[in-house]
Amino acid sequence: MNQASGRLSSVRRDWRERDVRVLIAALVVAVATVATIALFASHLQRTLVSSASAFLAADRQLESENGQPIPQAWRDKATERGLEVARMVEFSTMVYGNDNFQLVAVKAVSEGYPLRGEIEYQASADSPREMRSAGPGHGDVWLNPRLLRLLDVTIGDSIEVGNLELTVSGLLIREPDGGFSMSALAPKIMMNAADVAATGVLQVGSRVEYVNLFAGEEAALDDFYAEVKPDFSPSHEWKSVDDGEALSGSLQRARRFLLLGGSLAVLLASVAVAVAARQYAVGQRDTVALLKTLGVRGQRIGRLYLSRLMIWGVAGTLAGVVIALPAFWGLASLTARLLERPVDYSIDWFALTPALVTALVSMMAFAYPPLQRLRSVPAMRVLRSEPGESGTGIVRDGLIALIAIFGLIWLYAGELGLVLSLLGGLAALLAVLALLGWAMVLLLRRVVGGGNAWRLALVGLYRHRKASLSQIAVFSMTLMLAATLLLIRSSLLDDWQAQLPDDAPNHFLINIAPDAVDDVEQFLAKNDLAKEAIYPMVRGRLTELNNEPVKQAVSKDREVRALNRELNLTWMNSLPADNTIVSGEWFEPGQTEGVSIESQLADRMGVKVGDVLGFTIGSQKIEQPVTSIRTVQWDSMRPNFYLAFPEGGGLTGLPATWITSFYLGEDQKLLLNDFTREFPTVSVLEVDHIIDRIREIVVQVTQAIEAILIMILAAAVVVMAAVVSATLQDRQREGALLRTLGGRQSLLVRSTMLEFALLGFFAGLLGVVAAEVAVWALQYRMFQGEFQWHFRIVATLPLISAAVLSVFGYWQLQPVLKVSPMLLLRRLE
Amino acid sequence: MATGEYILKVTDLTHRVDLGHDTLTILHDVNLTVMAGQSVAIVGRSGSGKTTLLGLLAGLDTPSDGQIELDGQVISQLGEDQRAALRAQRVGFVFQSFQLLPALTALENVMLPLELAGQKEAASQATELLQRVGLGDRLTHTPRQLSGGEQQRVAIARAFAARPKILFADEPTGNLDNNTGQTVSDLLMALNREQGTTLIMVTHDEHLAARCERQFSIEAGVLTEPASQPVDNPPPRTAQQEAL
Repeated sequence: MNQASGRLSSVRRDWRERDVRVLIAALVVAVATVATIALFASHLQRTLVSSASAFLAADRQLESENGQPIPQAWRDKATERGLEVARMVEFSTMVYGNDNFQLVAVKAVSEGYPLRGEIEYQASADSPREMRSAGPGHGDVWLNPRLLRLLDVTIGDSIEVGNLELTVSGLLIREPDGGFSMSALAPKIMMNAADVAATGVLQVGSRVEYVNLFAGEEAALDDFYAEVKPDFSPSHEWKSVDDGEALSGSLQRARRFLLLGGSLAVLLASVAVAVAARQYAVGQRDTVALLKTLGVRGQRIGRLYLSRLMIWGVAGTLAGVVIALPAFWGLASLTARLLERPVDYSIDWFALTPALVTALVSMMAFAYPPLQRLRSVPAMRVLRSEPGESGTGIVRDGLIALIAIFGLIWLYAGELGLVLSLLGGLAALLAVLALLGWAMVLLLRRVVGGGNAWRLALVGLYRHRKASLSQIAVFSMTLMLAATLLLIRSSLLDDWQAQLPDDAPNHFLINIAPDAVDDVEQFLAKNDLAKEAIYPMVRGRLTELNNEPVKQAVSKDREVRALNRELNLTWMNSLPADNTIVSGEWFEPGQTEGVSIESQLADRMGVKVGDVLGFTIGSQKIEQPVTSIRTVQWDSMRPNFYLAFPEGGGLTGLPATWITSFYLGEDQKLLLNDFTREFPTVSVLEVDHIIDRIREIVVQVTQAIEAILIMILAAAVVVMAAVVSATLQDRQREGALLRTLGGRQSLLVRSTMLEFALLGFFAGLLGVVAAEVAVWALQYRMFQGEFQWHFRIVATLPLISAAVLSVFGYWQLQPVLKVSPMLLLRRLE
Repeated sequence: MATGEYILKVTDLTHRVDLGHDTLTILHDVNLTVMAGQSVAIVGRSGSGKTTLLGLLAGLDTPSDGQIELDGQVISQLGEDQRAALRAQRVGFVFQSFQLLPALTALENVMLPLELAGQKEAASQATELLQRVGLGDRLTHTPRQLSGGEQQRVAIARAFAARPKILFADEPTGNLDNNTGQTVSDLLMALNREQGTTLIMVTHDEHLAARCERQFSIEAGVLTEPASQPVDNPPPRTAQQEAL
């Protein structure tokens, strides 16, 4: 009891200490920032996944491409885990109706489909479009509107699918997982999966894809996957939202950005805690010496400070979480409002873990070491102050801090590349800083003081060179971290904007017969529709690598999906604008030999320039050496190809159809009717809804990025304020003394503000240059964008930081200006 | 001794501090005239108001009532910046707690007033002064690396650096032992003589006070000159002003 009340009073005493308040404030900011970001990131992830899950019509898909159904036992296991399950069977077949035959792509769906998203449906050609959450019932079939014309049937008529007669009960406009796959060339029909057996279409060896759909808790999904994975054959594929080509890029980048933001918050917080703890420890040395003279032993002193630290830690963490919750709710409702969705306030408590770990690590790795060293303060200090601390302790603290920072970011981001880029940037910064420090000492030594503010400021910088350099170090590090985020944000947004401009192609024309190419081009030109390049498309399989069957040549543990199916091969003379050659040379004019392969496929297969690829196209075999490897922008909404041949090359004479894409505004949709009337055999693939979805996600992510950026900048300002206030007392003493010695107020104000402005300018310049280095590394490794100098930010950030710091300087000087120097000197004694 | 011209004239000086519910009068109607070149000691116990008086005389603060004329200027009528300019040109200080800036070396501490006065040769002048106070080999040491007596010698060097006409010293030996105090006061007196500076010193040390030409005592804010005598052969002297 006594001990408890004693501890309470010592906490109250501590609270009166400015350094303790700064330390706790730093911890509160740390926990609040990290917790808000983590909560929001988790919330965003959930929203993104739920809006993106619709692309799969489920949370996960399991595909089997070997013509074998997926075992019922697996679905049972999923059901046991509380997951929702549905089935799909996809195959191509001829259908017959009203004396017409037509090749169609059949999608047969079970009860429950779609588990996520909705089917867009029309009861008849004249009815309004409506959204449905279930597929056709027994004996019913929904047709792609184009089929009505091709088969010349109407709603209520019957069509034959194999041996089974089905009633056309509606029009299938779009299914959620229709996605954007070029294999869907034939017009689509949707029927009930329970009717498939009766059609008799599926025989042994038929080309059919069985798909199971799963939805439910992430953990249950993961457990289920872990359970069935060992039984997978190479033709089984587990698909999550991230794997969708159209979306994966944007999602990955968004997630990485959030991770980066969180890591920076952790770093900034650590810096603030470390600075405050050090300052506190320095201030406590006299107290410790006094305690020692009173007979308190070193060990007990260690325990005393550890228990205080724990009390502050718990208080700071609680306060941080208390601030983080409303901040998170605010952000969540902001995004909800922007997206016109109901707000999801639920909290993923697990997302608080990084914040708690940050609090614990910053307390133990950054705050504890300087306090722990207080144990060794000599009692002699009471009689006579000893000069500064020994260097070894500081080196050890630095090492502990470095390892802790490294570990924290790694834990948080899980990306070694990110950690190394950031630490590399910081190391570069410190190297430049050391150089600058040396230059500063050399140059400023020559400046002689005088009654002029500039000279006094420069002399001040030189006089406080130790403090100046360490302040520049902390400021520039802080600014570097904030600038990194700012720069990545701009290039991320620009990137997205460039990738999906307002007139990004949103309709594909597939299956254009060679003799219709000219007519289609004329139709588009006549209606002022800007089309992308038009490409031929030849269906073929990649069967051999260097004269060896490709499945043997490619190591077994690499699952290369592209090898299990027919690919779209093309020929082209010029490299599409968004493709980049990473190895080899693009085709010379007139070149007929060679093939260019997409870089990820080449990586997965282990293909290099010079390897020979063998293709089977119908009954024909062709072989071509790889002459180049290129990257492809899959989410650009333009025709993209894994494999491209030169015009007049390997594909010459093979049967081809053509493909192109173009932009069609919402108000021009009626043109599609004219088009399908004129070209009944051309498939129109509408992807505007995918683009809308991606834009929606970009909006969400942009909001998140802005919010996180604001929080990081706020944290940066707090760190800088903490550092500046660490020298408050010295500054005030100096100000008071200068006034006593006859320094004018205006001179003092000007020179102090100038001194801080110079500090801010140098720190800003260094920080922004180091940020550019880090961004260059990050961009190259993680975001795969083109690196560009950001001249505007490079030019303005140093000025802004100079302005902010000079305001800090002014604020520091305020007490000196208000009180008579006599009083101040007495108070500071 | 006296040049016949006064450098400091205090008329009816009263100083009060507002304590919110009450007003505390710290100095009562102080009157004092000091001739250029004189050395004056003001002796009093803790809390007698002597440091407040020193601060007011030096223009660090403004009095509630009365007038202070320092080297021909009525400082109670000057603005803050004008008083600062006056201090920069004509006033030096020595404090009980030395008031050296911990981040600065001995040399840089002494250079401060010279730089404020815009002197180009600040470094060489400061070096000369530090040599004069016997710290020529400690130029680059910071206050932490110096003993109390050494710190006060640096402070004395700083006080004389700008060649002030009048030097204010607040308990210059208050934080030092007897021997060190003796050395420091010797130095202070010697430099005072060499530069012909007027010295106004506040102290509770009777021995130190006895080395000044005139001694005043202050008690409860009232200043008296009971037995002002020169150091070597003190003749009896009438108090210039009687306290109320």
